[in-house]
Amino acid sequence: MSSNKDLMIEAIDVNKEYRRAGAIIRALADVNLKIRSGEFAVIQGPTGCGKSTLLNVLSGLDLPDSGRIIFDGENIARATEDRLSRLRRQKIGFIFQDFNLVNTLTAIENVEAVLWPTVLRQKEIENRAITALRDVDLLDRKDHFPVQMSGGEQQRCGIARAIIHRPRVILADEATGNLDPESEKQVMDLLQKINKDMETTIIFVTHRDLSQYGTKTIRMDKGRITKVQ
Amino acid sequence: MWRKAILLSLREKKVFTVFTLIYMTLIFLTSLFIDLGLDGQLGQLAWYFVLIFFGVSLFLSLLYAWILVSRKRRVWATFKCIGYTNKNILVLVSGMIFFTTLVGFFVVIEVLFHYAAAVAYLTQASIVIEPKVLIDLVPVVTTSAIFIGVQILAFFLAYRKVLKVRPIIALKKVGE
Repeated sequence: MSSNKDLMIEAIDVNKEYRRAGAIIRALADVNLKIRSGEFAVIQGPTGCGKSTLLNVLSGLDLPDSGRIIFDGENIARATEDRLSRLRRQKIGFIFQDFNLVNTLTAIENVEAVLWPTVLRQKEIENRAITALRDVDLLDRKDHFPVQMSGGEQQRCGIARAIIHRPRVILADEATGNLDPESEKQVMDLLQKINKDMETTIIFVTHRDLSQYGTKTIRMDKGRITKVQ
Repeated sequence: MWRKAILLSLREKKVFTVFTLIYMTLIFLTSLFIDLGLDGQLGQLAWYFVLIFFGVSLFLSLLYAWILVSRKRRVWATFKCIGYTNKNILVLVSGMIFFTTLVGFFVVIEVLFHYAAAVAYLTQASIVIEPKVLIDLVPVVTTSAIFIGVQILAFFLAYRKVLKVRPIIALKKVGE
């Protein structure tokens, strides 16, 4: 098991500031963090504490003002946009709070969309999408459009989209924020299962206490990591 | 990816139908006026109309590109999050614009064929005495080719707008 615990993401002395209405907001202040492969890290903290900024920086969606982000051995803090796109396609799966499914595409097409720019044949893409939908127990809804599905089902479709390319890391930003408690439990159980079965590293950002699902809890406040347990 | 652009076009039913109908009308009118100009009818006026129609087609392409990128910013941002490069998205957007024009062209061809068939039938039945092709194929093909050429400017605009779509938008709450 210990061989599987190699370093997946490392943030070294990361700083990030925003300018809002003339005021400078320090979103991340000297953040140092290590996420090992196979971990389920829950980043927790109140609104505005910098947890989403940290997620954005870890995924290369946003650049830090200073510091380094080592993602699977590569410093992505200064990588080109194309390089970051490829990195996300190959190694990262995203789960969004608002699901972000394309309304004009069916569930299976939404999942397949991740692999459209690849060289894979349509049949192979379809097979992978079916497997991903089966993994999230949504195969019977594969031809439904997002508006025909409940919030929980849409999020499970979002999870299928996040795992179709077997990423090394799944990043989830308030992924249960728009769900009722029952759907939230389903989604968290599902993520836990993916984490265990596929050994996918998961970084889950939330303002709620969902630490019972994670193998590591990172608490943040005012742009700083206050506790790691 | 081109096939997926077609899929996305067809699913955007309202926008696709409206723009196909406008392109169809424009291709028809431009071809008609080129035909009239070549026949020496209407004199210079025919060519002025042709120029106006090309101008309108340019405006239309730019408008279509702007609508496709701006209205679907969140979709493109999400696609960037899941690993699409700017070029991947441009292929989808330009494919959607190109496909709409192409459908407009084929609808015009279809209408002209049906018109020719109807006239041929009526001539045979001696209802129409002088059979006439409404518009020759050459002006229609020329018009469509120029319309597609004009779209390169729209692709350029789309690319510039796609570059400005930041993937981080996808992570913001709806309405934020």
